[in-house]
Amino acid sequence: MAPQYKLTYFNLRARGELTRFIFAAAGVQYDDNRIEFSEWPALKEKTPMGQMPLLEADGKVVCQSGAIARYMARETGLGGKSSWEEAQVDMFVCGVDDLITKLCDAHFASDEAVKEERTKALGPYVSKFLDNYEKLCGPEGHLVGTSLTYADLAFFVGMHDIWQHRADALEKYPKLAKVAETVRDNEGVAAYIAERPETNI
Amino acid sequence: MAPKYKFTYFNARGRGELIRLIFAAAGVEFEDVRFNFEQWFAFKAKGTTPMGQMPVLEVDGQMMCQSLAIARYVARENGLCGKTSWEEAQADMLVCGADDLLTKLIKVRFEKDEAKKEEGKKDLATYVPNFLANYEKLCGSDGYLVGKSLTYADLAFFNVMHDILQVTSLDKYPRLARVVESVTAHTGVAAWLGKRPDTPS
Repeated sequence: MAPQYKLTYFNLRARGELTRFIFAAAGVQYDDNRIEFSEWPALKEKTPMGQMPLLEADGKVVCQSGAIARYMARETGLGGKSSWEEAQVDMFVCGVDDLITKLCDAHFASDEAVKEERTKALGPYVSKFLDNYEKLCGPEGHLVGTSLTYADLAFFVGMHDIWQHRADALEKYPKLAKVAETVRDNEGVAAYIAERPETNI
Repeated sequence: MAPKYKFTYFNARGRGELIRLIFAAAGVEFEDVRFNFEQWFAFKAKGTTPMGQMPVLEVDGQMMCQSLAIARYVARENGLCGKTSWEEAQADMLVCGADDLLTKLIKVRFEKDEAKKEEGKKDLATYVPNFLANYEKLCGSDGYLVGKSLTYADLAFFNVMHDILQVTSLDKYPRLARVVESVTAHTGVAAWLGKRPDTPS
């Protein structure tokens, strides 16, 4: 029988969205459990490391967004077709995670001066990120290999906030633009995007 | 034929040592290249690194970056990442958690602003006991964090504890103490620890 999956996180994209995209692209059912900030303290005590997101698979729990995404990608065949491809995919996803960390650090900074500084630094960081990824990207609408991997999904997820600032952010990056198109065209992803709640990060 | 590995990083433990420990535990030969800043800037300027960062791993001439993606690849190739997909997820989770702590330690160590440094140290004073309490709770009872044999999770825990163990005993954490014992007793690791350069960080 198919495993019962439950993903628990805030009603945010941030560190949960990649796994939601993996479920969507793979067409795998799961309980998308989004909790309020007020519900978190009570739940926190019962978690492995006092953090979210959490993945429950048939009652067993694991945390750490990267480990969760990698597990689901592995289980659904979206992790890469060989060990080396897996490593390449992993590398791309880590790079996106670094970007998301910078975006979150800027978004959640409580000190106005720090927030301004971090937001300003995003410009050059994002340019460098896109330059690197375009250089490394495969030519067929996938970052790695010739079929969808969660690296493509991670890239698309990472681009969300960048697109909010500049809808034409991928104008000078044709290979990456093709990746974004591939992801948007994925049936499961398209359906998910149409239905998901809108959140500011 | 066995692949040729070339691992390039600073002459430091930092974000490179976990990978060196995995090679050591696996008994796999690798070229351990250590750059000073001058050599790094020259190398970076060549534009051959994927993302302008270290560490990088070259395998039979192909290059990848991102320390944890590299660690996962080398662990996977050498049977040190867990015996099942779920065990892999557990080990992954613990390695990510150790990396979060490592990030905090590195940040405090290299912080130039005295006030921020003090704040960071204060944060660590609660973060570290919390980390240890969580890991003790999650730790297996056979002398390994996950399963019944060495994984790179044990190596990651050992690695991040380097400075902490100088000032803290694991008396209150008997399972974790056994993990440290398992790691230091491992022939390949012990040999590496005996010969690796002594570096401040």
